[in-house]
Amino acid sequence: MIKHHPKFELIQAFVDGDLPASLSAGIAMHAEMCPKCQEKIVQLTEHAAEVSFEEAFLDRFIVDDSHAVNNSNNEIDFEAMANLVSQSDDIIMPEPTLDKSIVFNDKSYTLPKVLNNMEIGKTSHIGKLSRARLQLNENEIHTSLLQIEPGGGVPQHTHKGFELTLLLDGTFHDENGEYVKGDFIMLDGSHQHNPISNEGCLCYTVANDALHFTQGINKLLNPIGTFIY
Amino acid sequence: MQTNLLSTVTNAKSSQMSEKINHPQLCEWLNAVANSRDKKAFTLLFKFFGPKIQGIARGKFPNEAQASEVVQETMSNVWRKAHLFDKDKGAATTWVYTVMRNVTFDMLRKIKGNKEDNLSDDIWPLAESMVSNDESFDDHLENKKLLTVIEKLPEAQQEVVKGFYFMEMSQEQLAEHLNLPLGTIKSRLRLALAKLKVQLGEEND
Repeated sequence: MIKHHPKFELIQAFVDGDLPASLSAGIAMHAEMCPKCQEKIVQLTEHAAEVSFEEAFLDRFIVDDSHAVNNSNNEIDFEAMANLVSQSDDIIMPEPTLDKSIVFNDKSYTLPKVLNNMEIGKTSHIGKLSRARLQLNENEIHTSLLQIEPGGGVPQHTHKGFELTLLLDGTFHDENGEYVKGDFIMLDGSHQHNPISNEGCLCYTVANDALHFTQGINKLLNPIGTFIY
Repeated sequence: MQTNLLSTVTNAKSSQMSEKINHPQLCEWLNAVANSRDKKAFTLLFKFFGPKIQGIARGKFPNEAQASEVVQETMSNVWRKAHLFDKDKGAATTWVYTVMRNVTFDMLRKIKGNKEDNLSDDIWPLAESMVSNDESFDDHLENKKLLTVIEKLPEAQQEVVKGFYFMEMSQEQLAEHLNLPLGTIKSRLRLALAKLKVQLGEEND
């Protein structure tokens, strides 16, 4: 059963459209597997819509004189625009979607539809870890698909920023317990962990800084931290 | 299962709803646009949502032209995608909000990340995908080829072919959906099939 969920503030920001694509996609994929969070999203979206389209909402913006409403240049003629838009006879049909898949070490995974239009970079390997970057152009935020082969793991590490791991397939465990498909694990600099996957797994990862290995000889691996996330 | 913000049946009179918005009225206008391409209903929707969308967009974009673009793009999607609205799955306000948030998200991404990948409809789908991959298609390679060939058809014919084969709509449903005479649907389908035969025949050799 899924035990790890995005916290409320994150879901709210997701609904508002304020999160980067990487984290938004992570929450959308989690919600596909988690009816509870899906339900929260539906309610928060309904609420956000209600608040946005109440008459009173406009008043909050009118006070700002840089957007003075009486500036006629800025005023849209809504009726004219409506006429213009409705001249087009086009309607948009949803595109038929084909499943996208990715192969790591001869194992093929069908990817969630959320990732359908994301550009996937080449795969690189170190030991039992394989990683393909998703090219989202979000500056310091790096997003990847990470496969751990059976028996593999990531040495104990911490992060200077945040690290999201969404388990898409298989299982892994660390000091805090066992994780299953759909778990949404958000860690920050105060956490240290050492994930190990006995049977192998595929994760969607988002991090805004390199891993920092903290233990003994693994400190020598620190350059590899940039490889993984 | 696809993440769909609108897929859970919500009671139109749930506790979230205030009395300040005339929900049944908005829903009726949106359905009129979807079912009969009603321009009058669309203008009424535009007058209700337009100024509010503009206000919200001004809070997110630094310049006035971009705020106007959000209004135009959002309402243009409302016009062209109204058939994806399903009143049993949520309020009209929730649906328009989703369209607006998606337009805003893609525009901001274009400005900040210089990426025109339009990911929003994958993250927040406007309608449940009407195609089930497992049931409709077995052979992905064959499928992809077919799709590439279909993409080469004129847009009017593509619409009909995709609706008929991928969404399994009847010719009558398509006529109603696209607001075209049944004869037009039939002739477009015939033309498209003739072209597809030629194309696929060639490529199979």
